Order: sequence, then structure tokens, then C-alpha cells
Amino acid sequence: MTFDWAVIVSNWKFLILQGLMGIGAFGGGTLRLAIPAIVLGFMLGVVIGLCRLAQRPWIRYPAVLYVEFFRGVPLVMVIFWFWFLIPQMTGQRLPEYTVALTAFVVFEAAYLAEIVRAGIQSVPRSQIDAAASSGLSYLQMMRHVILPQAIRNMIPSLVTQFIVLFKDTSLASIIGMMDLTKAAQIVSQREIRPFELYLFIAVVYWICTYSMSRFSRRLELRLGSPMGNPA
Amino acid sequence: MIPVLFLGLSYDFRWSVLWTDGHGGWILEGVLTTLKLSALGWVIACLLGIVFGAMRTAPVRIIRWAGAAYVEFFRNVPLLVWLFFWYFGAPQILPQSAQEWFNRHGAEFWSAVLGLSVYHGARMAEVIRAGIQSIPRTQFEAAVSTGLSVVEAYRYVILPLALRLIIPPATNESLNLLKNSSLALTIGVAELTFMTRQIETYTAKAFEAFTAGTLIYLILCLGIAAVMGQVERSFQIPGLIARVGRAEH
Amino acid sequence: MVHRRRIRGVVLLWVALGLSVWGVGHAAAETTLEKIGRTGVFTVGTRTGSPPFGFINKQNEWVGFSIDLAKLVHANIEKKLGKSIKFELKESKPDTRIPLLSSGAVDLIAGTMTDTRSRRDSVDFSLTFFATGAQFLVKKGSPIRGIKDIAGKRIGAQQGSTNERIIREKHPQAQLVVFPDQPAGFTALAQGKVDAYTNDGIQLAGLQAKAPKPDEWEIVGEFYSYEPYGMAMRKNDSEFRAIVNNTLMEAIEGREYFRLYEKWFGPKGEVPYPLSEIVLAFLLMQVVPK
Repeated sequence: MTFDWAVIVSNWKFLILQGLMGIGAFGGGTLRLAIPAIVLGFMLGVVIGLCRLAQRPWIRYPAVLYVEFFRGVPLVMVIFWFWFLIPQMTGQRLPEYTVALTAFVVFEAAYLAEIVRAGIQSVPRSQIDAAASSGLSYLQMMRHVILPQAIRNMIPSLVTQFIVLFKDTSLASIIGMMDLTKAAQIVSQREIRPFELYLFIAVVYWICTYSMSRFSRRLELRLGSPMGNPA
Repeated sequence: MIPVLFLGLSYDFRWSVLWTDGHGGWILEGVLTTLKLSALGWVIACLLGIVFGAMRTAPVRIIRWAGAAYVEFFRNVPLLVWLFFWYFGAPQILPQSAQEWFNRHGAEFWSAVLGLSVYHGARMAEVIRAGIQSIPRTQFEAAVSTGLSVVEAYRYVILPLALRLIIPPATNESLNLLKNSSLALTIGVAELTFMTRQIETYTAKAFEAFTAGTLIYLILCLGIAAVMGQVERSFQIPGLIARVGRAEH
Repeated sequence: MVHRRRIRGVVLLWVALGLSVWGVGHAAAETTLEKIGRTGVFTVGTRTGSPPFGFINKQNEWVGFSIDLAKLVHANIEKKLGKSIKFELKESKPDTRIPLLSSGAVDLIAGTMTDTRSRRDSVDFSLTFFATGAQFLVKKGSPIRGIKDIAGKRIGAQQGSTNERIIREKHPQAQLVVFPDQPAGFTALAQGKVDAYTNDGIQLAGLQAKAPKPDEWEIVGEFYSYEPYGMAMRKNDSEFRAIVNNTLMEAIEGREYFRLYEKWFGPKGEVPYPLSEIVLAFLLMQVVPK
């Protein structure tokens, strides 16, 4: 078969600017979805991870249920739930972007919560004892002693999960959000050149995720991970 | 059929849509397709994972590099993109007659199997690599010093140990594969999520349809995790070094 | 103690979330015009892959015949409400159209939605603004010439469309391959993964016109179903429905409709498709006297 790379040359602006970055008339954008999703998902993940470790059962059990539930269903299903039912519940019109962002944050937080939990549990008990004996409250202890150390331990697993989240943003195309994958689908319908197009966006995704893992490795080295285990 | 006040909006719950009009058959068909897809994908992914995972720990640099290339390439691209690539893109390089044969013989299903197994094969390779690397080098040296070749050492000593160690993260990956099979709906495979959408478009009863699908996935995942936990317990070697990762699902 | 304060805070947070979700749910009882007036936005659901009704052209703009008609409705809404309203487009596909409308995510569906009695249980329709029927798109020279030839063949269709339903229910001997949207379905046809792709005739004409090599395709078969396109809106909203219908009637009466028809379906349009006598008569007769 003949390869027709001209389809990439004439459409790369649409794919990269609109699809990847979300600059253009259609909103959306893979990066515009992934970055807030990572930040918000991490924040929610920390909260749920802490709840998971709580002493009081009425805080712990909902957190456990939350984590076990979202880890047992496909992300596609969660996206459909939010897509169909949030608007019914709230009566508000929601753009695909908001639905996708909410679904991702809620879903990924379950996985991030487990990483946070493992990270906190990996901090030696002596640290908690020392902090408590210095008179720090629970919140102060978490904020100044435990979490900083825990986060350092968590970085490899966190970045791995962030990379997973970044790849998962491609599912937003299923509900019509204009991300890199959806942009490729639209061009493919017009030009019928799926081999070149999907290979191109595969390379673009690869560049992004590979950069993320390289960054994580540098971050790990700079912060000096005491565990020393490779990701 | 009684309209119910659901969170302030009136919604007409009708759970019977799940089994009337042949919809029950649809759900069953969807579950079977999901299981077939996942099982086939899993078998191939495990084979690929063992091969490439072992390659990444080989003493020969070229082999190590080849293993790393496979893993890094397939693992870092979203599965959805791979599905489109395998279904729409890759067959274009085959000759016309091969393409036609493929199209006549379940191209959608087999492209999905291919996509799932190659992608999860790369992820399995990482899990297996971590398992192999957590076995002390001394085991390998001892095996080789008793006269086994490198390949035999892997086959009879390293891999049996590694496979036991990795049961928890491997279970995790296997469940990911099961959940990811839902993406096959984008290339026309009538699996479980597709079927819940189908019921929803025919009856407009989204809540009932999605609840059914969600519950089935939960039952499958929790069930498999429980079974694998049992398997881990029955195969474990007492006194072996610490596990590679905790059991998650 | 810190623990007690934290627990109270968490409990209050859950309660607040629950209340706000429940409370906002009650806001769904207003009419469409009230909602548009309140939010200042008129949201229209349309297609992205169905030329020339709603599609993304080579300049990557979102345009189409249905979109132009919706813009006419928008102008009348602004006139009625006496203020400027933002016009917004959202993608809607056969499988998401009705939920999007009933949930309030869109106010009007202007795309390629067929007016059917069973759909009228869930939504209200405007006057018919286009009439077509279901056919098949095949590669030129294909042995499939109509609905009688599809037994045992692989037929592509979109999930949630009337076409998919008819083939599944009335022609089970055909092997149905169902895709979530038009791009996937058409690409599958282009690659021979399905022997024919079924959709409404005019949409197939659109796909053919926009294909890289239009001569490779042909549309075959008698209409195996009657597909009148209407704009869909939420049920029991007569004021809004009157505006939409009046807009359409004014457009047909004042020839704006035909100007748009020429633009998209005329001999020099995107998808040449002459207006038949019977459809012309039908459109004109829908315009009731003032």
C-alpha cells in the first residue's frame, strides 16, 4: 500500500493545536483535560487516602467502599454514568469537558488514594511518634512531617498513575469531547487515512508520556528517594 | 412503572427492561463476549509478558534493548488509539485478499483481542520483570553453576519463583484487562458496555441499564480478585522473600 | 479535640453536598425560554460527522444545513426575549440525543433526527424540515442493490439510529455491525470491513460527496423506511415549540429555507440533491396561514 503522509502535513495544526492543546473553536484538548484532572484527582486522592486510614469506622468505611467500587468498574462505564445522569440530577447543562473532568477526577482519585495510603504507611512509625511527642496536632503532623516524606516515597507510583490518567483522557473522545483522539477520528473520516493518522497520534502520545516518565526519574533523583526501588 | 421522586426529579423506574424483549439475552451475550475477549487477550498477554519480561532481564544487551523497546512503545500509548490503529490502520498494509479474509472472519473481535493483548502484554512484561528482578541474583548463579543453560535456568528456577511473587500485581493487571475490554465497543464489538448502551437507546432507561452493567463488572472483578487471592495462598512458598506488591484489584 | 472537629467538618461537607445536589435538581421545572433567558445561552445539539447537516469542513469549521436553520431560530429567540443570547453548539449523536435534551444539556436538537411516534413519547418535534429515507452506501459495482440483498452480508450502522433498529428487528439474517458513530462506520465501509453502510439517503449522499473519491461509491436501494427530519425539543413546551415552528414556516414562506437549500443541496452545493416535487409540496403545505 502507499503511505500518504500529506494528510498529516495538512492537518497537523488541527490535531496538535485543537486536539492536544484545546486551542480553537471546539474547546476540549487533551492537555487542558489531563492537567486539571491530575491536580484535582491528586487532591481528592489525598483526602480519600487519609479517610481510608482514619480510626473512625464511619469515615473509613465510605472511603473503602469508594475505592473498591471505582476500582471494580471500567472507566468507560463511569464516564457514561456521569454523562447521562449528572445532568438529570442537577438539571444543569454541562459541557463534555466538565463531565469528562468530573468522571476522571472521581475515578482516578480511587487509584491515587491507594497510592497515597501506601505512601503514608511506608513512613516509619517512629516519625509519627516523634512528631506527636513534639506536641504537633494531627493536621500539623500530617502537613509538616508525614505527607512530605510520604510524597517522596510515592513519586514513582504517582507518576505512573498520572501517565495512566493522561492516556485515559483519550476516552473523553467517546462522549464527543474534542481531544487528540477525536480530532484524529474526524480527520480520518474525511480523508480515510487511518494508518498514518493513528500512528501519528500514537507518536504524539508517546512523546508526552515518555517526557513525563523522564521528568519523574529526574525528580526522583533530585529528591533522593530513600526506598531506592525502581518504578 | 410508578414515577418516583429521584433526587427531586421524577423518573419512571422500570427494571423489567433488563429482561423483557430479549434484553436479558443481550446482556448475557454481552457478558459472554466480554469474557471471551478478556480470556483470549489475557492468555496472549501473559505469553507476551513472560517473553518480553524475561528479555528485559537477559544478560545480552541487544535482547534487553529489544524488550525495553516493545514495552516502552506499546505501554505509553492509550489503548483506545491502539484499537483504532489495529482495526482501521494496520490491516491496510496487508494484501487485499488477506484484508478481505480478515473482514469476513470477525475483524472487530480479533482486532480487539490483538489490541488488548499487545498493550497488556507490555504491562505484564513490566510486572514480570519486576518479579524476576526481585529474585536474588544468587539463585540464577546457583542454577547456572549446576550446569543449566541460561534458558533452562529461567525456565526451571527463575520463572516459577517469579510467577508466584507477582500474583498480586498480575491480578491487578488482569482485572485492568477485563475492564479495558469495554473499549472494544468503539470498534463495533458487542460486549457488555455496548449492550448496556443498546438497552439504553432502545428504552431510554439509562439508570437501570447502567446499574446492571456496573454490577456485573463489580461482581466479575471482585470475584476474580477473590479467586486469585486463594490461588496465591495455595501456591505460596513459605519463607520466600517479601512479595513484590500488595494484592489490589 | 482535633478529631471531633475534623469529623464534624467532614459530616457537614457530605450533608452540604447532598443538599446542594438535591436542591439544584429542583431547578428543572422552568420552560425552555425561561432557561435560555436566565442562562443567556441557547444550546443546540447537532452532528459532527453528517455532511451537510452538521459536520466539520476542510477548514475545520462546524457548519451545516441544520445548523443554519438553528441559527434562524436563534435570531427569533433573541427577538422574542429582547436581548442578545449566545449561540452554542454541542455534539449529539443518535445514542445521546434524547438524554441530552431531557437533561437540559441542550435546548434543541437540530441535526438528522427522524421524527417517529415512539420518540414522541420522550420529546416533541418541530415541523418536518427535510424528508428522506433509509438506503445503503456501497462500493461501486457491489452486488448489494437493495434491502433484499442484505441477507448474510455485513451491514454497518450507527448505535441508536432508526436504521439499526429496523435491520435488527426486520432483517435478522443480515450481519449487523454497530458502531458508536459515523466516522467509525464510514471508515469501516471504506476499508471493506462491512459490505454496506446504512443510513438515511441524504446522509449517505453527504458522506459520498465528502469522500476522497466520490466516484467509488454509490447509494443503492429504494427507501426502506421513511425518515422525516424534525428538530426535537423538550416535551410540553408550547411557547418554545411555537417559536421553532414559526421560524421554519417563515423561512419556507420567505424563501430563506430555499436559499439555504440551494447553498447546501443545490447543483453547486456541498451535496447536490434536488428537491422532489412531492417533498416541495409537503414543505409548502406545512406553512399554515397567519
